[in-house]
Amino acid sequence: MSQRLKNIVKAGSLLALASIAFGLGAARADEIVIGASLPLSGPLAGFGSFQQWGYKRAVAEVNKAGGISIGGTKQMVKLIIRDDKTDPNAAASNTETLISRDHVVAMLGSCTPALVNAGALVAERAKKPLVTGCDPLEAFKSVRKWNYVWDLFFDEPELAAAQFKALAELGAQTNKKIAIWHDNGPDGQVVGGKIWPALAKDFGYEVVQNAEFPVDNTQFTSIIGEAKSKGAEVVLVDAITPQAIAIRKQMAAAGFTPKVLNIEKGAEPVQFAEALGKLSDGILVGGYWDSSLPYPGAADLSKAFESETKLTSSQHIADSYAAAQILLDAIASAGSTDPEKINAAIAKTDKTYAVGPVKFDENHTAKLPIVSLQWQGGKTVIIWPKAAKTGEFLFPLP
Amino acid sequence: MKTSSGLAEVGVLLAAFVLLWFAPSFAGDYGLQIAFRVLIYLTLAESWNLLAGSTGLVSLGTSCFVGLGAYVAFGLMNAFDVPLPLGLACCAVAGGALAALVSPALFRLRGLYFTVGTLALAELLRLIMVNVSAFGGASGIFLQKDPPPLPVLFHYALVVALIASLAITACARSRISVILRAVRDDEDAAAQMGVRPYRTKLGAFILSSALVAIAGGVQATKLGAIEPYGMFGLQWSIDVLSMVIIGGVGLRLGPLVGALFVVALGEALADYPEAHVAIAGVILIVLIRFAPRGVVGFVENLAPFTQKKRVAA
Amino acid sequence: MPDIGVALSTIVSGVLLGGMLALTALGLSIVLGVMRLVNLAHGDFVVVGAYVGLFFLKFTGVDPLLGLPVIALIVAALAIPLYRFLLAPLAERGPEAQMMTMFAVAIILENAFVLGFSADTRSIERDYATLPLTLGPVTVPLIYVIGFAIAVALILAVHWLISRTRFGRDLRASAADAQAAATLGIDVKRVQMLTFGLGAACAGVGGTLIGAAFQFGPSSGAAYLLNSLAIVVLGGLGNVLGTLFGGVTLGFLQSVGGLTLGDGYRDLVGMALFLLVLAFRPDGFLARRRS
Repeated sequence: MSQRLKNIVKAGSLLALASIAFGLGAARADEIVIGASLPLSGPLAGFGSFQQWGYKRAVAEVNKAGGISIGGTKQMVKLIIRDDKTDPNAAASNTETLISRDHVVAMLGSCTPALVNAGALVAERAKKPLVTGCDPLEAFKSVRKWNYVWDLFFDEPELAAAQFKALAELGAQTNKKIAIWHDNGPDGQVVGGKIWPALAKDFGYEVVQNAEFPVDNTQFTSIIGEAKSKGAEVVLVDAITPQAIAIRKQMAAAGFTPKVLNIEKGAEPVQFAEALGKLSDGILVGGYWDSSLPYPGAADLSKAFESETKLTSSQHIADSYAAAQILLDAIASAGSTDPEKINAAIAKTDKTYAVGPVKFDENHTAKLPIVSLQWQGGKTVIIWPKAAKTGEFLFPLP
Repeated sequence: MKTSSGLAEVGVLLAAFVLLWFAPSFAGDYGLQIAFRVLIYLTLAESWNLLAGSTGLVSLGTSCFVGLGAYVAFGLMNAFDVPLPLGLACCAVAGGALAALVSPALFRLRGLYFTVGTLALAELLRLIMVNVSAFGGASGIFLQKDPPPLPVLFHYALVVALIASLAITACARSRISVILRAVRDDEDAAAQMGVRPYRTKLGAFILSSALVAIAGGVQATKLGAIEPYGMFGLQWSIDVLSMVIIGGVGLRLGPLVGALFVVALGEALADYPEAHVAIAGVILIVLIRFAPRGVVGFVENLAPFTQKKRVAA
Repeated sequence: MPDIGVALSTIVSGVLLGGMLALTALGLSIVLGVMRLVNLAHGDFVVVGAYVGLFFLKFTGVDPLLGLPVIALIVAALAIPLYRFLLAPLAERGPEAQMMTMFAVAIILENAFVLGFSADTRSIERDYATLPLTLGPVTVPLIYVIGFAIAVALILAVHWLISRTRFGRDLRASAADAQAAATLGIDVKRVQMLTFGLGAACAGVGGTLIGAAFQFGPSSGAAYLLNSLAIVVLGGLGNVLGTLFGGVTLGFLQSVGGLTLGDGYRDLVGMALFLLVLAFRPDGFLARRRS
């Protein structure tokens, strides 16, 4: 019995030690504390590192300019970032901790619907505003009617329509037979399962194949074989980067070269082209941002990223940077750290940021304009719309 | 002797339960969040111990029942608007039923094969959820109604943890323990003594799985959104093993200390994002290597040592 | 139902791929057989092999397939200290301690990959990795044929090593009964260390092949671990030729599953088969009477 008592005492002292550990990072009274849970390890670590840079840059700029004025006194902004390991359970618990331990006044989001949702639901219940990018708008809207969460990103129907419009305007001649391959993630189901087939009909294409696969599939031999045997000349893919790379390599290895290959989502980051080398040439991908776009600070943003990190920039630095700026602007215009006032100020956002003009609609979403990009020699050029064009359309796929 | 110490343990558990029941009124929001996580982890670790302690089988299938509980709870609450307690009871039934269903296959396996089999089962269930769109596919399911507030969920977690702890106490301190130990140590000999090893193992497996499924249902309700990768992730099974090993295999306080340790470590390290996963790995390796009986065993060993030292001085 | 050419191509590709994956599974299998250890870091050894292959090509300019012996040695050299300093001291402590230690190694490796090489998805870029090979109605990726040939050659070599050499005799004795082997004067720890190194080398070579044929990233390991486990169970634990058989069978059945149900069901078919075999033939399809 006394042994057990001893054990209990020891467990108690451990608990005390643990509580000291939890006590770290307590906020100072004269700081505005905001927080974010990001995927800095696990499969989505790549996205997380871009977002982290964008968030930190926006906060650093505000602090460099003397902070934000709250009730007449300038206060510095403190950004607390926690790693969710690409696990929705951790995204939720990180958000809980940021709200209940660090007393953040507002939050910035994670990346992909699963992780953003997990954190956003916690913030919504705690009535803390959360501004996020990196969550396609239809997927975001399907969760619930949001009151405190705001999303700026691309809208799946617009992204899906972009390539059809681009192909029509650029006059690509094909046999009008389309193969659609998409993953069964939230945006894959929307784009590949519903929007593309409907658009194909509108634009006079025949869908000869529509294949769905889970997001961790690595073998596409039978899908590719079927498309080849059915003579598809246009292939539309919605898949994450590892799969996008696998699909392109397996297409080449199966001797299947359609005239048009569009890979949404996965073909966007530079690592896609780096992993594939010249096989990436001619692949189309929709984008919501490029440093050549005529928005304030767009060119500087990617230059700053590349000189600071020695890495190639990504469009994800733009929506994260803008999301943080929107939140900071809202705190400034509210002149308060009251979550309700900040939330009301976010709703009034109407300004052109580095990512484009941002104004939230009644569903708390802001659509970012879409351009059609094509990989050429390891770089992307904008081939559509005409106004933003930076290069000629390479057709057919080499 | 055995029963009296068993009764004392039940007393301690009930006292702790009553004290913690009022935690929402004195612990802050943050304290409650942490306590909730510890209770869920404690339930998982106690359930794992129940299986391992009574059958000697090392399971890597915790995630399979966590995920099952989460999907059952959401499915029932969304489709039939069942109240949460009934939903959780159904989770328990589903968890127990799945355990009973797969036990003929899994119990043919001894040692490593069982471990590998539970791992595969979790992966199979995850793949089914990912592929079948009726279960939401990779996007998962959202809870349509608002989940109850944290204090209420905390009480659910507390009750489940109490049941799991009482089950362990019953198995370790009552006459059942003799049977269980006989089965674990030598099945054939136990059978000759008139014990039915298969039934005993099945009972432990069903109870353990049912408890894990309830914990999964509570965790999912708190999240409000579930998808296959988070709920069927290997992470759950691995966390449980870490807790049991860190706490101390076969020690009564092992799961509690392990749960506290794992939650505390995860909380503290998430603030140092760059290398926290690696740091957690190093801590795990060091603990396994230098504290063979876990933190509890380590502290126990340390105590007499320091006393001796004092005498010497 | 797809046409016959598609079906044949898919099935042949599946079988060839299965052979390649059998090589990575072999590493897991011999470690399981000799050390009774489910090496949870095995998938990460595969990824280490892929990175080593990638950087080998980058820095030497020599084709990684020619450099396979060097790559195997490098991966084994990285693994042996892990055995010596982390696993050997835990030998008396039951399977959980070693298993969790290897899990910790796995997460440290994954974190190290992200910090060292970024989270980018990579691929070893070679012309032969993206060329088709056509024979009549059947088109398969050339790299699958190359990978299959290398994998079969290596599996046969390991089989020879285990069945015909002194080291192999010691290994078999240690696997059957470590204590008895020790009393016969076999240095069981040394055998286990070399086995662990050999297992890692197999994973490393398999990783380079996979890196050329597919893509990989810091967290790719988990998928290869489960796949390898399925092959090991199909082929029978510690059975070298059985592993090849297991890989080919799994590849074949996964392709059939992919053809009939859709590519998404490949892994599901694999896992279901894995559980069925576990349940009914726990020693594998080719089980002989073993102790």
